[in-house]
Amino acid sequence: MIPPVLPIETERLLLRTFERNDFDSVMAYHALPEVQRYLDWKARDRIEVKAALEAMRKEVALNRPGDTLSLAVEHRKDKRLIGQVSLRWHDATAAQAELRFVFNPAYRRQGYAGEAAKAAISLGFSEFGFHRIFARCDARNQQSARLLKGLGMRLEAHYREHALFQGEWDEELHFAVLDREWLRSPKVHEFAAHRVA
Amino acid sequence: MRNAEPGTMMQPSPLLPIVTERLVLRPFTRGDVDAVHAYRCREDVARYLFDGPMTRETCAEAIQLRVRQVSFAEEGDRIVLAAERQDSGELIGEISLIWRSVVSRQGEIGYIFHPDYQHLGYASEAVRALLTLGFRDLDLHRIYARCDTRNAPSYRLMERIGMRREAHFHEHLLVRGNWDDEYIYAVLRSEWRRH
Repeated sequence: MIPPVLPIETERLLLRTFERNDFDSVMAYHALPEVQRYLDWKARDRIEVKAALEAMRKEVALNRPGDTLSLAVEHRKDKRLIGQVSLRWHDATAAQAELRFVFNPAYRRQGYAGEAAKAAISLGFSEFGFHRIFARCDARNQQSARLLKGLGMRLEAHYREHALFQGEWDEELHFAVLDREWLRSPKVHEFAAHRVA
Repeated sequence: MRNAEPGTMMQPSPLLPIVTERLVLRPFTRGDVDAVHAYRCREDVARYLFDGPMTRETCAEAIQLRVRQVSFAEEGDRIVLAAERQDSGELIGEISLIWRSVVSRQGEIGYIFHPDYQHLGYASEAVRALLTLGFRDLDLHRIYARCDTRNAPSYRLMERIGMRREAHFHEHLLVRGNWDDEYIYAVLRSEWRRH
Protein backbone atom coordinates (compact mmCIF):
# COMPACT_ATOMS: atom_id res chain seq x y z
CA MET A 1 0.00 0.00 0.00
CA ILE A 2 1.14 3.49 -0.80
CA PRO A 3 1.99 5.54 2.26
CA PRO A 4 -0.71 8.13 2.82
CA VAL A 5 -0.41 11.79 2.26
CA LEU A 6 0.77 13.10 5.57
CA PRO A 7 0.40 15.20 7.59
CA ILE A 8 -3.37 15.48 7.79
CA GLU A 9 -4.90 18.71 8.96
CA THR A 10 -8.25 18.85 10.68
CA GLU A 11 -9.99 21.91 12.04
CA ARG A 12 -7.79 22.20 15.11
CA LEU A 13 -5.26 19.38 14.77
CA LEU A 14 -2.35 18.11 12.78
CA LEU A 15 -1.80 14.33 12.45
CA ARG A 16 1.80 13.53 11.58
CA THR A 17 4.39 10.80 12.07
CA PHE A 18 6.40 10.76 15.28
CA GLU A 19 9.78 12.46 15.60
CA ARG A 20 12.68 11.90 17.97
CA ASN A 21 12.13 15.17 19.80
CA ASP A 22 8.58 14.17 20.73
CA PHE A 23 10.00 12.33 23.73
CA ASP A 24 9.02 14.79 26.46
CA SER A 25 5.49 15.22 25.16
CA VAL A 26 4.98 11.45 24.89
CA MET A 27 6.54 10.86 28.30
CA ALA A 28 4.07 13.37 29.75
CA TYR A 29 1.15 10.99 29.21
CA HIS A 30 2.71 7.52 28.76
CA ALA A 31 4.06 7.70 32.31
CA LEU A 32 0.70 8.47 33.91
CA PRO A 33 -1.01 5.59 35.76
CA GLU A 34 -4.42 7.13 34.99
CA VAL A 35 -3.67 6.91 31.27
CA GLN A 36 -2.58 3.28 31.37
CA ARG A 37 -5.53 2.25 33.53
CA TYR A 38 -7.55 1.11 30.54
CA LEU A 39 -4.70 0.20 28.20
CA ASP A 40 -2.91 -3.08 27.86
CA TRP A 41 0.43 -1.70 28.96
CA LYS A 42 1.57 -0.40 32.29
CA ALA A 43 2.69 3.15 33.04
CA ARG A 44 6.06 3.55 31.40
CA ASP A 45 9.39 4.79 32.65
CA ARG A 46 11.87 6.79 30.53
CA ILE A 47 13.49 3.73 29.01
CA GLU A 48 10.13 2.20 28.07
CA VAL A 49 8.85 5.46 26.60
CA LYS A 50 12.05 5.77 24.59
CA ALA A 51 11.51 2.27 23.19
CA ALA A 52 7.83 2.99 22.49
CA LEU A 53 8.70 6.20 20.66
CA GLU A 54 11.41 4.44 18.63
CA ALA A 55 8.83 1.84 17.60
CA MET A 56 6.21 4.44 16.72
CA ARG A 57 8.68 6.45 14.65
CA LYS A 58 9.01 3.41 12.40
CA GLU A 59 5.25 2.91 12.10
CA VAL A 60 4.75 5.16 9.12
CA ALA A 61 3.10 2.91 6.52
CA LEU A 62 0.80 -0.07 6.17
CA ASN A 63 2.56 -2.47 3.84
CA ARG A 64 1.41 -5.81 5.18
CA PRO A 65 -1.06 -7.22 7.71
CA GLY A 66 0.19 -6.63 11.23
CA ASP A 67 1.65 -3.23 10.35
CA THR A 68 0.63 -0.18 12.35
CA LEU A 69 0.46 3.44 11.29
CA SER A 70 1.10 5.59 14.37
CA LEU A 71 0.36 9.27 14.24
CA ALA A 72 1.20 12.01 16.68
CA VAL A 73 -1.65 14.44 17.22
CA GLU A 74 -0.49 18.01 17.45
CA HIS A 75 -2.53 21.04 18.35
CA ARG A 76 -2.20 23.35 15.37
CA LYS A 77 -2.41 26.58 17.31
CA ASP A 78 0.21 25.98 19.98
CA LYS A 79 2.12 23.14 18.25
CA ARG A 80 1.84 20.88 21.29
CA LEU A 81 1.69 17.13 20.95
CA ILE A 82 -1.48 16.18 22.82
CA GLY A 83 -1.87 12.48 22.04
CA GLN A 84 -1.66 9.75 19.46
CA VAL A 85 -3.88 7.76 17.15
CA SER A 86 -3.08 4.60 15.23
CA LEU A 87 -4.43 2.18 12.67
CA ARG A 88 -3.33 -1.44 12.65
CA TRP A 89 -3.92 -3.54 9.57
CA HIS A 90 -5.45 -6.63 11.03
CA ASP A 91 -6.49 -9.02 8.32
CA ALA A 92 -5.19 -9.29 4.77
CA THR A 93 -8.19 -10.71 2.93
CA ALA A 94 -11.02 -9.09 4.88
CA ALA A 95 -9.45 -5.58 4.95
CA GLN A 96 -9.94 -5.03 8.67
CA ALA A 97 -8.16 -2.45 10.80
CA GLU A 98 -8.05 -1.53 14.46
CA LEU A 99 -8.17 2.05 15.63
CA ARG A 100 -6.47 3.02 18.86
CA PHE A 101 -5.88 6.33 20.56
CA VAL A 102 -4.27 7.69 23.70
CA PHE A 103 -4.48 11.30 24.80
CA ASN A 104 -2.85 13.43 27.44
CA PRO A 105 -5.51 13.97 30.15
CA ALA A 106 -4.58 17.66 30.27
CA TYR A 107 -6.31 18.06 26.90
CA ARG A 108 -9.43 16.04 27.56
CA ARG A 109 -13.06 17.02 27.17
CA GLN A 110 -12.47 19.33 24.24
CA GLY A 111 -13.26 16.86 21.48
CA TYR A 112 -9.67 16.46 20.30
CA ALA A 113 -9.62 12.67 20.53
CA GLY A 114 -12.86 12.45 18.55
CA GLU A 115 -11.55 14.84 15.92
CA ALA A 116 -8.34 12.82 15.53
CA ALA A 117 -10.13 9.46 15.54
CA LYS A 118 -12.53 10.68 12.86
CA ALA A 119 -9.62 11.75 10.66
CA ALA A 120 -7.88 8.40 11.18
CA ILE A 121 -11.01 6.43 10.29
CA SER A 122 -11.53 8.48 7.14
CA LEU A 123 -7.90 7.91 6.23
CA GLY A 124 -8.37 4.16 6.75
CA PHE A 125 -11.36 3.95 4.46
CA SER A 126 -10.35 6.44 1.76
CA GLU A 127 -6.58 5.96 1.53
CA PHE A 128 -6.20 2.31 2.56
CA GLY A 129 -9.49 0.93 1.37
CA PHE A 130 -10.33 -0.88 4.58
CA HIS A 131 -13.70 -2.59 4.71
CA ARG A 132 -14.21 -2.42 8.46
CA ILE A 133 -12.52 -0.50 11.24
CA PHE A 134 -12.96 -1.55 14.83
CA ALA A 135 -11.90 -0.25 18.22
CA ARG A 136 -11.85 -1.88 21.63
CA CYS A 137 -12.12 -0.34 25.06
CA ASP A 138 -12.51 -1.35 28.66
CA ALA A 139 -16.18 -1.39 29.65
CA ARG A 140 -15.46 0.98 32.55
CA ASN A 141 -13.86 3.49 30.22
CA GLN A 142 -17.03 5.46 29.59
CA GLN A 143 -15.23 8.37 27.95
CA SER A 144 -13.83 6.19 25.17
CA ALA A 145 -17.08 4.30 24.75
CA ARG A 146 -19.00 7.54 24.40
CA LEU A 147 -16.47 8.86 21.92
CA LEU A 148 -16.65 5.76 19.70
CA LYS A 149 -20.43 5.70 19.80
CA GLY A 150 -20.48 9.40 18.99
CA LEU A 151 -18.42 8.73 15.87
CA GLY A 152 -21.22 6.48 14.65
CA MET A 153 -19.49 3.21 15.46
CA ARG A 154 -21.69 0.29 16.43
CA LEU A 155 -21.28 -1.60 19.70
CA GLU A 156 -20.64 -5.12 18.39
CA ALA A 157 -19.39 -6.93 21.45
CA HIS A 158 -19.46 -6.76 25.21
CA TYR A 159 -17.24 -9.47 26.62
CA ARG A 160 -17.53 -10.27 30.31
CA GLU A 161 -14.62 -11.78 32.22
CA HIS A 162 -12.99 -13.00 29.02
CA ALA A 163 -9.47 -12.29 30.24
CA LEU A 164 -7.49 -11.62 33.38
CA PHE A 165 -5.61 -8.35 33.24
CA GLN A 166 -3.28 -7.36 36.07
CA GLY A 167 -5.12 -9.80 38.33
CA GLU A 168 -8.61 -8.55 37.58
CA TRP A 169 -11.34 -9.84 35.31
CA ASP A 170 -11.60 -7.72 32.24
CA GLU A 171 -14.75 -6.49 30.59
CA GLU A 172 -14.29 -5.28 27.06
CA LEU A 173 -16.36 -3.40 24.49
CA HIS A 174 -15.82 -3.74 20.78
CA PHE A 175 -17.07 -1.04 18.38
CA ALA A 176 -16.98 -1.14 14.59
CA VAL A 177 -18.00 0.66 11.43
CA LEU A 178 -18.07 -0.51 7.80
CA ASP A 179 -16.78 1.57 4.90
CA ARG A 180 -20.22 2.02 3.31
CA GLU A 181 -21.71 3.13 6.63
CA TRP A 182 -18.93 5.63 7.21
CA LEU A 183 -19.11 7.11 3.75
CA ARG A 184 -22.86 7.66 4.16
CA SER A 185 -22.39 9.29 7.53
CA PRO A 186 -22.81 13.08 7.72
CA LYS A 187 -19.83 13.17 10.09
CA VAL A 188 -17.51 12.43 7.22
CA HIS A 189 -18.74 15.24 5.07
CA GLU A 190 -18.31 17.55 7.97
CA PHE A 191 -14.74 16.26 8.25
CA ALA A 192 -14.06 16.47 4.51
CA ALA A 193 -14.90 20.15 4.57
CA HIS A 194 -12.14 20.74 7.09
CA ARG A 195 -9.53 18.66 5.38
CA VAL A 196 -6.88 20.71 3.68
CA ALA A 197 -6.05 19.27 0.30
CA MET B 1 0.94 -33.38 16.94
CA ARG B 2 2.60 -33.32 20.33
CA ASN B 3 1.37 -36.36 22.25
CA ALA B 4 2.26 -39.98 21.72
CA GLU B 5 4.17 -41.61 18.90
CA PRO B 6 2.04 -43.26 16.24
CA GLY B 7 0.95 -46.66 17.39
CA THR B 8 1.41 -46.05 21.10
CA MET B 9 -1.57 -46.08 23.41
CA MET B 10 -3.17 -42.79 24.38
CA GLN B 11 -3.82 -42.31 28.07
CA PRO B 12 -7.56 -42.75 28.43
CA SER B 13 -9.00 -39.74 30.29
CA PRO B 14 -10.81 -40.76 33.47
CA LEU B 15 -13.50 -38.20 32.54
CA LEU B 16 -14.41 -40.04 29.33
CA PRO B 17 -16.71 -41.25 28.00
CA ILE B 18 -19.45 -38.95 29.22
CA VAL B 19 -22.82 -40.65 29.50
CA THR B 20 -25.93 -38.47 29.31
CA GLU B 21 -29.58 -39.46 29.32
CA ARG B 22 -29.63 -40.64 25.70
CA LEU B 23 -26.04 -40.19 24.47
CA VAL B 24 -22.51 -41.33 24.96
CA LEU B 25 -19.83 -38.71 24.26
CA ARG B 26 -16.68 -40.64 23.53
CA PRO B 27 -13.29 -40.19 21.82
CA PHE B 28 -13.20 -40.76 18.07
CA THR B 29 -11.83 -43.97 16.59
CA ARG B 30 -10.55 -44.69 13.10
CA GLY B 31 -13.76 -46.56 12.35
CA ASP B 32 -15.82 -43.32 12.53
CA VAL B 33 -14.81 -41.92 9.13
CA ASP B 34 -17.93 -42.95 7.20
CA ALA B 35 -20.35 -41.84 9.88
CA VAL B 36 -18.70 -38.41 10.07
CA HIS B 37 -18.40 -38.11 6.30
CA ALA B 38 -22.15 -38.77 6.01
CA TYR B 39 -22.90 -35.30 7.42
CA ARG B 40 -19.65 -33.35 6.87
CA CYS B 41 -19.95 -33.94 3.10
CA ARG B 42 -23.26 -32.07 2.99
CA GLU B 43 -23.57 -28.53 1.70
CA ASP B 44 -26.35 -27.77 4.22
CA VAL B 45 -24.01 -28.74 7.06
CA ALA B 46 -21.00 -26.81 5.71
CA ARG B 47 -22.98 -23.66 4.90
CA TYR B 48 -22.32 -22.00 8.24
CA LEU B 49 -18.91 -23.52 8.96
CA PHE B 50 -15.46 -22.17 8.11
CA ASP B 51 -14.63 -25.38 6.22
CA GLY B 52 -16.45 -26.34 3.06
CA PRO B 53 -18.00 -29.77 2.55
CA MET B 54 -15.43 -32.49 3.29
CA THR B 55 -14.27 -35.27 1.03
CA ARG B 56 -13.87 -38.69 2.58
CA GLU B 57 -10.11 -38.19 2.50
CA THR B 58 -10.22 -34.87 4.43
CA CYS B 59 -12.58 -36.53 6.87
CA ALA B 60 -10.19 -39.43 7.41
CA GLU B 61 -7.33 -36.96 8.06
CA ALA B 62 -9.46 -34.99 10.51
CA ILE B 63 -10.37 -38.12 12.41
CA GLN B 64 -6.79 -39.26 12.57
CA LEU B 65 -6.10 -36.05 14.52
CA ARG B 66 -9.20 -36.37 16.66
CA VAL B 67 -8.29 -39.81 17.93
CA ARG B 68 -5.67 -38.04 20.05
CA GLN B 69 -7.74 -34.97 20.95
CA VAL B 70 -9.02 -36.29 24.25
CA SER B 71 -7.50 -34.13 27.01
CA PHE B 72 -6.05 -30.73 27.90
CA ALA B 73 -2.30 -30.41 28.45
CA GLU B 74 -1.61 -26.92 27.13
CA GLU B 75 -3.27 -23.86 25.61
CA GLY B 76 -4.91 -24.54 22.24
CA ASP B 77 -5.56 -28.20 23.01
CA ARG B 78 -8.97 -29.54 22.14
CA ILE B 79 -11.17 -32.34 23.32
CA VAL B 80 -13.22 -33.60 20.39
CA LEU B 81 -15.89 -36.20 21.04
CA ALA B 82 -18.27 -38.26 18.98
CA ALA B 83 -21.92 -38.13 20.06
CA GLU B 84 -23.38 -41.59 19.87
CA ARG B 85 -26.97 -42.60 20.53
CA GLN B 86 -27.21 -45.13 23.32
CA ASP B 87 -30.24 -46.87 21.84
CA SER B 88 -28.98 -47.41 18.28
CA GLY B 89 -25.23 -46.92 18.62
CA GLU B 90 -25.31 -44.45 15.70
CA LEU B 91 -22.80 -41.61 15.58
CA ILE B 92 -24.99 -38.52 15.11
CA GLY B 93 -22.59 -35.64 15.58
CA GLU B 94 -19.45 -34.19 17.09
CA ILE B 95 -18.71 -31.75 19.88
CA SER B 96 -15.51 -30.04 20.92
CA LEU B 97 -14.01 -27.96 23.69
CA ILE B 98 -10.89 -25.88 23.01
CA TRP B 99 -8.62 -24.53 25.76
CA ARG B 100 -8.38 -20.92 24.59
CA SER B 101 -6.61 -19.42 27.58
CA VAL B 102 -4.87 -21.20 30.43
CA VAL B 103 -4.31 -18.05 32.52
CA SER B 104 -7.85 -16.73 32.11
CA ARG B 105 -9.41 -20.22 32.10
CA GLN B 106 -11.33 -19.70 28.88
CA GLY B 107 -12.81 -22.40 26.68
CA GLU B 108 -14.58 -22.48 23.35
CA ILE B 109 -17.26 -25.01 22.57
CA GLY B 110 -18.31 -26.18 19.11
CA TYR B 111 -20.77 -28.72 17.78
CA ILE B 112 -21.92 -30.18 14.47
CA PHE B 113 -24.81 -32.62 14.20
CA HIS B 114 -26.29 -34.67 11.38
CA PRO B 115 -29.38 -32.81 10.07
CA ASP B 116 -31.41 -36.03 10.23
CA TYR B 117 -31.15 -35.93 14.02
CA GLN B 118 -31.93 -32.24 14.55
CA HIS B 119 -34.86 -30.95 16.62
CA LEU B 120 -34.64 -33.92 18.98
CA GLY B 121 -32.61 -32.19 21.68
CA TYR B 122 -29.49 -34.29 21.16
CA ALA B 123 -27.23 -31.29 20.55
CA SER B 124 -28.47 -29.50 23.70
CA GLU B 125 -27.92 -32.63 25.70
CA ALA B 126 -24.36 -32.90 24.45
CA VAL B 127 -23.57 -29.20 24.92
CA ARG B 128 -24.87 -29.21 28.50
CA ALA B 129 -22.68 -32.21 29.28
CA LEU B 130 -19.62 -30.56 27.80
CA LEU B 131 -20.24 -27.30 29.69
CA THR B 132 -20.43 -29.33 32.89
CA LEU B 133 -17.15 -31.03 31.98
CA GLY B 134 -15.56 -27.64 31.27
CA PHE B 135 -16.70 -25.91 34.44
CA ARG B 136 -16.77 -28.74 36.97
CA ASP B 137 -13.93 -30.99 35.87
CA LEU B 138 -11.62 -28.66 33.92
CA ASP B 139 -12.15 -25.59 36.13
CA LEU B 140 -12.86 -23.16 33.29
CA HIS B 141 -14.09 -19.65 34.15
CA ARG B 142 -15.90 -18.79 30.91
CA ILE B 143 -16.95 -20.84 27.90
CA TYR B 144 -18.01 -19.27 24.63
CA ALA B 145 -19.18 -20.41 21.23
CA ARG B 146 -19.37 -18.71 17.85
CA CYS B 147 -21.89 -19.11 15.10
CA ASP B 148 -22.96 -17.59 11.81
CA THR B 149 -25.80 -15.11 12.43
CA ARG B 150 -27.99 -17.01 9.91
CA ASN B 151 -27.60 -20.25 11.82
CA ALA B 152 -30.77 -19.96 13.89
CA PRO B 153 -30.87 -23.55 15.21
CA SER B 154 -27.38 -23.10 16.61
CA TYR B 155 -27.90 -19.81 18.42
CA ARG B 156 -31.38 -20.76 19.65
CA LEU B 157 -29.80 -23.78 21.29
CA MET B 158 -27.29 -21.54 23.07
CA GLU B 159 -30.05 -19.20 24.22
CA ARG B 160 -32.12 -22.14 25.49
CA ILE B 161 -29.35 -23.46 27.64
CA GLY B 162 -28.62 -20.06 29.18
CA MET B 163 -25.74 -18.64 27.19
CA ARG B 164 -25.74 -14.86 26.61
CA ARG B 165 -25.09 -13.15 23.28
CA GLU B 166 -21.93 -11.12 23.81
CA ALA B 167 -21.06 -10.17 20.25
CA HIS B 168 -22.51 -9.56 16.85
CA PHE B 169 -19.70 -8.90 14.41
CA HIS B 170 -20.60 -7.43 11.03
CA GLU B 171 -18.52 -8.44 8.02
CA HIS B 172 -15.43 -9.06 10.14
CA LEU B 173 -14.14 -11.94 7.99
CA LEU B 174 -14.25 -13.31 4.49
CA VAL B 175 -15.25 -16.95 4.53
CA ARG B 176 -14.98 -18.71 1.21
CA GLY B 177 -15.46 -15.40 -0.60
CA ASN B 178 -18.44 -14.17 1.41
CA TRP B 179 -18.65 -11.62 4.20
CA ASP B 180 -19.18 -13.34 7.50
CA ASP B 181 -21.49 -12.08 10.26
CA GLU B 182 -20.93 -13.80 13.55
CA TYR B 183 -22.49 -14.10 16.99
CA ILE B 184 -20.54 -14.99 20.09
CA TYR B 185 -22.42 -16.50 23.01
CA ALA B 186 -20.86 -17.05 26.41
CA VAL B 187 -21.55 -18.33 29.87
CA LEU B 188 -19.56 -17.83 33.06
CA ARG B 189 -18.91 -20.51 35.62
CA SER B 190 -20.90 -18.52 38.23
CA GLU B 191 -23.91 -18.41 35.88
CA TRP B 192 -23.69 -22.09 35.03
CA ARG B 193 -23.67 -23.16 38.68
CA ARG B 194 -26.87 -21.22 39.29
CA HIS B 195 -28.37 -22.93 36.30
